[in-house]
Amino acid sequence: MKKNLIWSWFWIILSLLYFFVPLILTFVFSLQTLKDQFSFISYQRVFEDRGFIRSLIFSTEIGIVTIFLSLALMIPTVYWVRLKAPRIRPVIEFISLLPFVIPAIVLVFGLIRVFSGGLLPLTNTHLGTNFLLVAAYVVIGFPYLYRSIDAGMGAIDVVTLTEAAQSLGANWFTIMFRVIIPNLRAAIFSATFLTLAIVMGEFTVATFLVGLKSFGPYLWQVNQNRAYEGSALVIVSFLITWAFMGLIVLVGRGAGASDAAGPR
Amino acid sequence: MAYLTLTDISKQFGETFAVQDFNLDVEKGEFVSFLGPSGCGKTTTLRMVAGFELPTGGQITINGADITNKAPNQRNVGMVFQAYALFPNMSVSQNIGFGLRIRKEPESAIKERVEEMIRLIHLEKHIDKYPYQLSGGQQQRVSLARALANRPQVLLLDEPLSALDAKIRVSLRSEIRAIQKTLGITAIFVTHDQEEALSISDRIVVMNEGRIEQVGTPFQIYNFPETQFVANFVGSLNTATAEIADPEQGLLHMDGVQLSTAEKLIGLQKGDKVRIAIRPERFSFASEQKKANVVDCTVENITFLGSVVRIHLLIGNTKFHMDTFNYPSLELPKIGDKTQVTCSLRAVMILGQA
Ligand SMILES: Nc1ncnc2c1ncn2[C@@H]1O[C@H](COP(=O)(O)OP(=O)(O)OP(=O)(O)O)[C@@H](O)[C@H]1O
Ligand SMILES: [Mg+2]
Repeated sequence: MKKNLIWSWFWIILSLLYFFVPLILTFVFSLQTLKDQFSFISYQRVFEDRGFIRSLIFSTEIGIVTIFLSLALMIPTVYWVRLKAPRIRPVIEFISLLPFVIPAIVLVFGLIRVFSGGLLPLTNTHLGTNFLLVAAYVVIGFPYLYRSIDAGMGAIDVVTLTEAAQSLGANWFTIMFRVIIPNLRAAIFSATFLTLAIVMGEFTVATFLVGLKSFGPYLWQVNQNRAYEGSALVIVSFLITWAFMGLIVLVGRGAGASDAAGPR
Repeated sequence: MAYLTLTDISKQFGETFAVQDFNLDVEKGEFVSFLGPSGCGKTTTLRMVAGFELPTGGQITINGADITNKAPNQRNVGMVFQAYALFPNMSVSQNIGFGLRIRKEPESAIKERVEEMIRLIHLEKHIDKYPYQLSGGQQQRVSLARALANRPQVLLLDEPLSALDAKIRVSLRSEIRAIQKTLGITAIFVTHDQEEALSISDRIVVMNEGRIEQVGTPFQIYNFPETQFVANFVGSLNTATAEIADPEQGLLHMDGVQLSTAEKLIGLQKGDKVRIAIRPERFSFASEQKKANVVDCTVENITFLGSVVRIHLLIGNTKFHMDTFNYPSLELPKIGDKTQVTCSLRAVMILGQA
């Protein structure tokens, strides 16, 4: 028993080191823009660069649209499959794995090929290109989103709850918004977080569709050209990510408190 | 016309019939149980009344109105599920008020009705709790209140007690029955527990393989089973094959043991073989009873079942069970003893020709 405990701690500490040492070293490095002295100059430069804020806002916007679109597609689909066609669940599960198998580079070239001319020349306009970007992210986020939503629905008895609501006179709209979605809160939050994290850091698709406008390519470019600021940017983006995470947890708690603690 | 009618209802899943030739009239305020083994179609029939399944044939009416193909949310039918199915994101009072809110009743009316329901199920202290904070029995009571809050025309309960432990099962079933009587609501109760069905129903529908075997009061079902299936399924039963010795007198021979029955052996000849059945509690140790069967037997085993002692007997070459009340002054024979037991002529039921 005691021996086990020691080993548990050993592994925990090892993984913490693995995670934090590079981060700490990056942080220390980012402070060394000036010789012989620590300073936050690189951070100042990061925030002064208008590309930083612009790309950050752009990617956040894309992320939010992606999340809404993904949830709007995924929640009714997963619900319907569980309710009416449980037999095709394995098929959906298989499809949900495809984005893992198809490299992002193939996806983006495919999209550009199809949508740069022909019937739907989306790449000719900014709006069209942004839409393509969102579409690509919906696909890339599909496996994560599907899994968390499906697990969320698995945790409640969707079929019986639906029938209970129906027998009390509820229509589909009411069932969806009063019964199903409120019980998927945790799943939706984790899906949201994952999607946002993917969108913020994604490089390949963003580079080919919108370039430095989005955060991923911007981050890469800064790292290429300016070492200290690059490191500072990495730290900043980490902090942003954590802030998002904290915010989501907070919002999740808040929603939980207003109609009181959900099922645990 | 009865309040709830099911006429020639059938339900096919692919090639298999889950329910067939189902005819039932339920009066207003009646408590009817569906009883039968697993897979006999109880749930399917109930779900057709609720509207979750559509019959492949037949008609269902409530209060004269045809509801056969109505959507579940257009019927006013309350449902209680085995797994409670409370909405996890809502408190007890929100759960109970859900249906009333959907009907857009004024908040004050909802509040009043919810409180009335809460009193009915004695959960005043738990009104603001969430389902996960309640015991199974409490959750099922909330589920009952939620179904009743809407004042449904019919209340449907699908094995509502199966997930609870024995003590609560017994107390909650009488509570359900009491509430049903107070409100005068028409109820259908699905169970595969015969004791449950016998104890709370006005009438029992015994089902087997998608068909009705017998409809009757608990007394009729238990004492006058019309088919071998009902006789076997309800209560425990000793069955044996016997040969008719004298059809007029109701005289039977079973491996050289003589038995008499009070049943009329219409259309049967001397020498015909019949299945007979005797309930274990109809036996007692032989005393000076006249006009009764008295048979020799060997005691093979004795088991205690709580309030009842079961004695395993060998009569002729056939094994029988005899049940007797377990009281402290009971004088039990020993295993291996040869003794005599008795049962009345009416206790010997004829199930049909063998
Ligand atoms: N959706 C379905 N698809 C195919 N067959 C079904 C479906 N629902 C029920 N059945 C079949 O119909 C028959 C009756 O099922 P039903 O659930 O009504 O039985 P039950 O009497 O409620 O049994 P239990 O006591 O086990 O709940 C069974 O043979 C079952 O396999
Ligand atoms: Mg069933």
